[in-house]
Amino acid sequence: MTDWNPGKVVDRYPDVPYEEKQRLFLEIKEDPRYEDYLYGCYECGICVSACPSARFYDYSPRVIAQAMAREDVDRIYEILIEDIWNCAQCFSCVRCPRHNNPGGLVTLIREVAVRNGIQETRDVLQGYSRVIYKVMLKGNQVSPDMLQPDFFPDWGPWVREFSENMQVWRQAIPVDTLRGVTDAAWRTDDKTLRELYTIWFETGNIEIIQEVDEGLYELLVDVMEEELEEWEEEV
Amino acid sequence: MSQGKVLIIGGGPAGLEAARTVADLGYPVVLVEKRDRLGGTPDAVHYAQLTHHFRDAGEVMAELVAAITDNPNVEVLTDSQVVACEGEAGNFRVTVQNGAGPKTVEAGAIIVATGFQHFDPGRETQYYNYYSFPDVITIADLEGMLRAHQVVRPSNGETPERIAFIQCVGSRDRQIGNEFCSKVCCGIASKQAIEIKRLLPDSRVFIFYIDMRMYGYWENELYWPAQEQYKVNYIKGLVSEILPKGDRLLIRGEDTTMGRPMEVTVDLVVLSVGMEPSTGTRAMAGLLGLEQNKYGYIAAGGPTGVDPVATSRPGIFVAGAAAGPADLDDSFSMAGLAAARAIATLRRAG
Repeated sequence: MTDWNPGKVVDRYPDVPYEEKQRLFLEIKEDPRYEDYLYGCYECGICVSACPSARFYDYSPRVIAQAMAREDVDRIYEILIEDIWNCAQCFSCVRCPRHNNPGGLVTLIREVAVRNGIQETRDVLQGYSRVIYKVMLKGNQVSPDMLQPDFFPDWGPWVREFSENMQVWRQAIPVDTLRGVTDAAWRTDDKTLRELYTIWFETGNIEIIQEVDEGLYELLVDVMEEELEEWEEEV
Repeated sequence: MSQGKVLIIGGGPAGLEAARTVADLGYPVVLVEKRDRLGGTPDAVHYAQLTHHFRDAGEVMAELVAAITDNPNVEVLTDSQVVACEGEAGNFRVTVQNGAGPKTVEAGAIIVATGFQHFDPGRETQYYNYYSFPDVITIADLEGMLRAHQVVRPSNGETPERIAFIQCVGSRDRQIGNEFCSKVCCGIASKQAIEIKRLLPDSRVFIFYIDMRMYGYWENELYWPAQEQYKVNYIKGLVSEILPKGDRLLIRGEDTTMGRPMEVTVDLVVLSVGMEPSTGTRAMAGLLGLEQNKYGYIAAGGPTGVDPVATSRPGIFVAGAAAGPADLDDSFSMAGLAAARAIATLRRAG
């Protein structure tokens, strides 16, 4: 069976063999979750309407669903390289009247991109090394003092004012638990950390990191193994 | 009770259903059919399966015919045509011509159920090279193939791998004068796409459309299964032209919701041709002096606009696609109403 392949489309990745794109597409499609994430699309656009990313980036959850339904492997390859990283994985798009889950499709495509160690995927995730490092080691990625106005347009026009005045404003809030949160976010107790590291190892998550960033992987494994060994000694 | 009769012109779904209803209510019917057999367009064009539960069209039509066969209240005149009519509501004298010569029928009321014909893609301009490319067919042609359980490329008898439907051919088009929606083609194309996928599971089926009009239960009975279960691709955008590409066909259009032009190679193109008033409908409208709308259908609705079987002439009613694009449900519903109105006319006259 031949592909969708509408002839006039500019193929943005002509150097990647069609067979390779087809292989990646089939890997996405063969995921057991796929059938529950894509039923059929009447292209109503409610997912785009609900999508925060679509307001700020050249990103459309509708196009993800349509490209998958059309089995348009060239476009799906573009999506795998580019579009999926504009999704915030907030799943506002699941309000789809056909019960599709474009955000879920993005999850599947991201997993395939990472599993296959695609170079562009590695490059994209390079910038997230610090986030991954923090999430993996502390179970938490964002603390309020990380807010940078230039990179969070979806936080609204007041993000700059907020980031500039955050310390003062927070001190003004008379609630103990909120006052120190900017630096307390990464203070995780030992028991939680050890459970977290065990989960990373047992679920194979740490191997996914290895696919995209060998150096980060080694760094994480060192820290986590040391912590877990310490725990075993205590036990 | 009046001794008058109801004359019904046309032996398709609407005419058969009207005849059955009038007869069941105890009044005599004369059913006039131009062809040598009853069953109308579904029979003449060899429809395969109906959108209703995918029932075999031949079986359903046979049931309708059986319902009036050997009914003492129904006289069937096949190979016959109405050639003259005079009189008025309650007292029409209709001349019916057949091989045996002219015959006069006294009727208190008349129901016109002369139906539609499929739009001819060769009319005026050659739409999509229907008459040049053997692998460009219509939904009517495809019905015959589906009835034979054999969908092939007419050019070489091979099984098609990629099939494209083009919607609204001869409908919703100011250029050709048919501004109306033919109402059934969206459902028929979706039904046929499902039938094709059942016969040829490895094939790829595309439906190029302007709007898919899947009113009521067609949504979940046809459209969703076609898309979700049979993976039929619905692409919003019409094809501008079909060109030969080797021994296949290249179709050009726009994938509007993906925002880009497209060229797709396919093996078989199916034109979803719409409805037009049949030659019989035009002829009977003229002969009976019934007002027609700008498209040639019998103008219905009556002075109130909400009487779907009323014509411009009292005592003469219209049922089915003679009044405009209609599906079977429309035709049967109108037939029942026309039967009731016709009997009321007889009773008032009696």
